[in-house]
Amino acid sequence: MIVEVKEKTVLCSACFNVTVSPLCPICADPRRDATQLCVVEDPRDIVAVERTREFRGRYHVLGGALSPIEGVGPEQLRVRELLARIEADEVAEVILCTNPNLEGDATAMYLARLLRPLGVKVTRIASGLPVGGDLEYADELTLGRALEGRREVDA
Amino acid sequence: MRDFRNLDQLQFSPSRGAMTVVVGENGSGKTSLIEAIGYLSTLRSFRGSPREALVRRGSDQAWIRAELADGTRRITVEIELTPGRRDRVLLNRQRVTRSEDLLDVFQVTVFTPDDLVLVKGAPEYRRDYLDEVLEASSSRFGVLRRNVERVLRQRNTLLRQANGRTSSEVIATLEVWDRQLAAAGEALVTAREALVTELAPHVAAAFRRLTRLPDPLELSYRRSYDGTLGEALVAARDEDLRRGVTTMGPQRDDLFLASAALDARSRLSQGQQRAATLALRLAAHEVVTERRGNRPVLLLDDAFSELDDAATAGLLGELPDGQAILTTAGALPVGSHPASVRRLASGVLT
Repeated sequence: MIVEVKEKTVLCSACFNVTVSPLCPICADPRRDATQLCVVEDPRDIVAVERTREFRGRYHVLGGALSPIEGVGPEQLRVRELLARIEADEVAEVILCTNPNLEGDATAMYLARLLRPLGVKVTRIASGLPVGGDLEYADELTLGRALEGRREVDA
Repeated sequence: MRDFRNLDQLQFSPSRGAMTVVVGENGSGKTSLIEAIGYLSTLRSFRGSPREALVRRGSDQAWIRAELADGTRRITVEIELTPGRRDRVLLNRQRVTRSEDLLDVFQVTVFTPDDLVLVKGAPEYRRDYLDEVLEASSSRFGVLRRNVERVLRQRNTLLRQANGRTSSEVIATLEVWDRQLAAAGEALVTAREALVTELAPHVAAAFRRLTRLPDPLELSYRRSYDGTLGEALVAARDEDLRRGVTTMGPQRDDLFLASAALDARSRLSQGQQRAATLALRLAAHEVVTERRGNRPVLLLDDAFSELDDAATAGLLGELPDGQAILTTAGALPVGSHPASVRRLASGVLT
């Protein structure tokens, strides 16, 4: 029942994912790699990344992206909590997984500048072409970004 | 189309690849017809009217459908326009969500008597002119223009929120938006400058033929900043924080029109200024044609009403081949040879 869901859900005390226990199943799982931290805007983004089964680290939910128009500055996001986690835990790499739009890019840039001095590796997810797609039908902006983020082919 | 502006229901079949003239008195709905055809390309009113104004009073939705033919290729465009909601756009019965998808299949070049603001009006009219030509020539510029507008809104809001404070927190956030604006803004400025270089010879040639003046009409793009936009934003930061607005960037640039090294506004007569606006439109038409590889449809809304016979003949002589739809309140423009003439009275086409 919807009432029950609303009453029982809380935010994970470590990553701020939506959960029913004090620690979400991902943070509570000792097999998850604590050295990799994936920063997302919204709990729904965790679901999306989890579906890939590519990521075995942990998450941090910011609760949005920088957007002065909507009254969102760094104080409205869980940035302080992120810094505290990086200082306390054994995080070696922070993967910035905010949306590939203006606000998501700005947020990633802001965090990168804040985190680099802490001596932690900071990466941003690549944005580019859909797998199985056709170059001819890619829009110029996406293709441009994919070209910008090109990498060497293993041979 | 149905319930668009003052038009109850209307079906219109212009001549293919040739000129169609629509004759109608003021208020007959001829501008609405042109506006609807333009809407099929840009999802905007060329008059800059709000969407609510485009739906007939007493109706909650306007509807436009068009069959486009390009060689042997046929495309159906269908638009439902409901105020307060996003347009529902179908391209060959497939839903599309980006306005660029329409511009990719159909472009128009619009001439109206209001175009005089391109010469006489504030710089924003000339910036809009450049940006609209860029958008018509490639879908990527629509995205770029929207990004620049959005970053500017974000940055200006932040400047006002800071309220003159220059804490390290404010500066750190501002720097991020500066970087975004520098990247998008520089890209837009570069695109505009390349466009001006391409437009200039077309504008000069059309203006010379229209006026026979010895001095050419010269175009130059004037940036609001020196050096890179990134550096300029840093240099202007205190000023921007004090005023709560971004004082450098593409939103402050201008397209300067000159004749014999003097400002066209003071140097040219009223009639010559009209010729300058026609030259700007004709040049835009040529550049979009070159960049797209196909000709936009020419839409001339009452474009001859302010022109004398010589100027009318000049413009008709300059109009390139291809499909043109021309409206007039009175007689046919002197010297025009339309393939078909239709009459519009009280929203009924005969």
